[in-house]
Amino acid sequence: MKEFQETLYDSIAQCFRIDKMYFEHKTEHQHLMIFHNAFLGRVMTLDGIVQTTEKDEFIYHEMMAHVPILAHGHARRVLIIGGGDGAMLREVSRHRAIESIVMVEIDAEVIEMAKQHLPRHSAGAFTDPRLQLVISDGMEFVRGAESGQFDVIISDSTDPIGPGEVLFSEDFYGQCKRILAPGGVMATQNGVPFFQLDELIQTRERMGRHFADQSFYSAAVPTYYGGIMAFGWGSDDPGLRQVDEQTLQQRFREAGLETRYYTPQIHRASFALPAWVQDALDGYGQ
Amino acid sequence: MSGEAGYRPGPRPVRYGASPEERQFYESLVAEHGSPLLVVRRSRIEAQYRLLQRQLPGVALYYAIKALPHASVIETLAALGCHFDVASEGELELLRPLRISGRRTIHTHPVKKPEHIKAALRGGSTTFVVDNLEEMNKLLPFRHRIGVLLRVSFRGDSVAVDLSRKFGCAPEQVPELARAATAQGIHIRGLSFHVGSQSARPDSHVAAVEQCASLIAAVNADNDNPMSTLDIGGGFPVDYDGQGLDADRWFRPLREALQRLPEDLSVIAEPGRFLVAPAVTAIATVTGRARRGDCQWYYLDDGVYGSYSGQLFDHMRYPLQVFNDDPQRQPSVLAGPTCDSIDIIAEDVPMPELGEGDLVIGHMMGAYTAATSTRFNSLNAARIITID
Repeated sequence: MKEFQETLYDSIAQCFRIDKMYFEHKTEHQHLMIFHNAFLGRVMTLDGIVQTTEKDEFIYHEMMAHVPILAHGHARRVLIIGGGDGAMLREVSRHRAIESIVMVEIDAEVIEMAKQHLPRHSAGAFTDPRLQLVISDGMEFVRGAESGQFDVIISDSTDPIGPGEVLFSEDFYGQCKRILAPGGVMATQNGVPFFQLDELIQTRERMGRHFADQSFYSAAVPTYYGGIMAFGWGSDDPGLRQVDEQTLQQRFREAGLETRYYTPQIHRASFALPAWVQDALDGYGQ
Repeated sequence: MSGEAGYRPGPRPVRYGASPEERQFYESLVAEHGSPLLVVRRSRIEAQYRLLQRQLPGVALYYAIKALPHASVIETLAALGCHFDVASEGELELLRPLRISGRRTIHTHPVKKPEHIKAALRGGSTTFVVDNLEEMNKLLPFRHRIGVLLRVSFRGDSVAVDLSRKFGCAPEQVPELARAATAQGIHIRGLSFHVGSQSARPDSHVAAVEQCASLIAAVNADNDNPMSTLDIGGGFPVDYDGQGLDADRWFRPLREALQRLPEDLSVIAEPGRFLVAPAVTAIATVTGRARRGDCQWYYLDDGVYGSYSGQLFDHMRYPLQVFNDDPQRQPSVLAGPTCDSIDIIAEDVPMPELGEGDLVIGHMMGAYTAATSTRFNSLNAARIITID
């Protein structure tokens, strides 16, 4: 029996049975696999870490796309950093009112590979006429981008140890702030606080230096083992995280979204953090 | 580097003559693959692995890749269920194309650049070895992901290569370092030691196991996150002298010491030499001859800058074999192919008349041979082929 054992933590590891290998790309520098698991469907792993599975990707992508877009309320220009599998694009492009989507992916091969072997992730979204696809390093792109041109930025990065490291840097958050229009918001993938509390605090420090309102919201994504995962939140408008449920309901209806995880109630509740996370962010209990 | 007492290489064993099958075996390999060659025998690696498993039951074996960082060796051991001791990014990169998970590795270099740590984590290697506070601090940003082994230094007095001088904290520092680690939120998973290499007797291993057991018990007594792992390193000897090595006699005291450990302590070892030394044979060819004074010189196509580099770096003398069994022998020099006068494999070694094209076989040449060979004089390293 073939198995994939995750290599994130020394003392604990989750293990998936590999029922069929669809794609494997291994070089001296990285090892990417897409395989089938009886329960999870297609699973993509990179360097021993689960990136996405067909069974639970909706939780992650719905929460990272709809929360900032519906909180903003009138987002027209959205920037996605990373997200080569196309699922973030899929969720963003469901918002009809959005006029332009710029997606910056560092590796063109990831997109081709995902179109072929993870087709349900993008579900045709790469043909959206509003999409401008840029193959570039995310950090370089934000450095070179004009100020104030995006309403929402979504950083759908890999793990902070590896190629995604720069997307957790203070410079990256600063550049994102600069290219956001007034009233804009950025959301980032920030790991599982139960195991990665230091990274959470680090984002608080680094992102907090650039945004008047920095916080996190959360959702439990089963294959990101360890309980809730945190999404970083940065905006100069503290009101964006306080939008009332009625307003969210209205925006949700107007957008005509059909979702499996996201609801306006979940949206509101997701900003409530467990006491131990809040304490750590407030400088206690480290 | 050399231990000042205990192990000394004995007189170099030389075998004169070969059975027709043996001769045919070496000559056909050279005919097919050229010379010089290093011949890896999978069956011998497997035999050594099984022997060590029998001698140290219950001990998880982590092959020290540095001894012979070759894909066929790694693959053979991986198929047997072996784990791997990696000490650099390059060693970890050898595993990836072979689909060997980082979970089967520990990273054992006590001194690391921060980028080494990140590369190791990307490769799935999550257990690290340190021996001081400064190195521990480098692990702080990753503290929630990793396990740490604290390397302790015990001086072995019967080893050929002393490994206790360059790395390892003093045993009396262990409680203090463990406390400091706990205070910073780093978990010390256990202790590791390396008494040295090619140990003539197991006494140093046994003493180190016993001292580590006391240290672990002392630290665990007032720590609610107990140490759980003891890494006994390597250093298990192989028979370079042709005297015969009674493995059971060597390992029994160590095995008994390990049996006295608490049951919930996991024991791991990092054998390198033991697994590969007997599995590799070097084949070199006489390329030239000269008479200098009273001595007959033979120039070979491999030498101490190549596969025989272990004679310098590793202080070993490999058993040699020539096919000519003529009892008429004269003092000879076997020299390597480079221009340097240090490039001499053997001096004053009695040799029968050898002709150009004759083969010289080096036995027990798996560990720290190809691993440390150089490209001096732009000479190619011996080709490594794998059989069995």
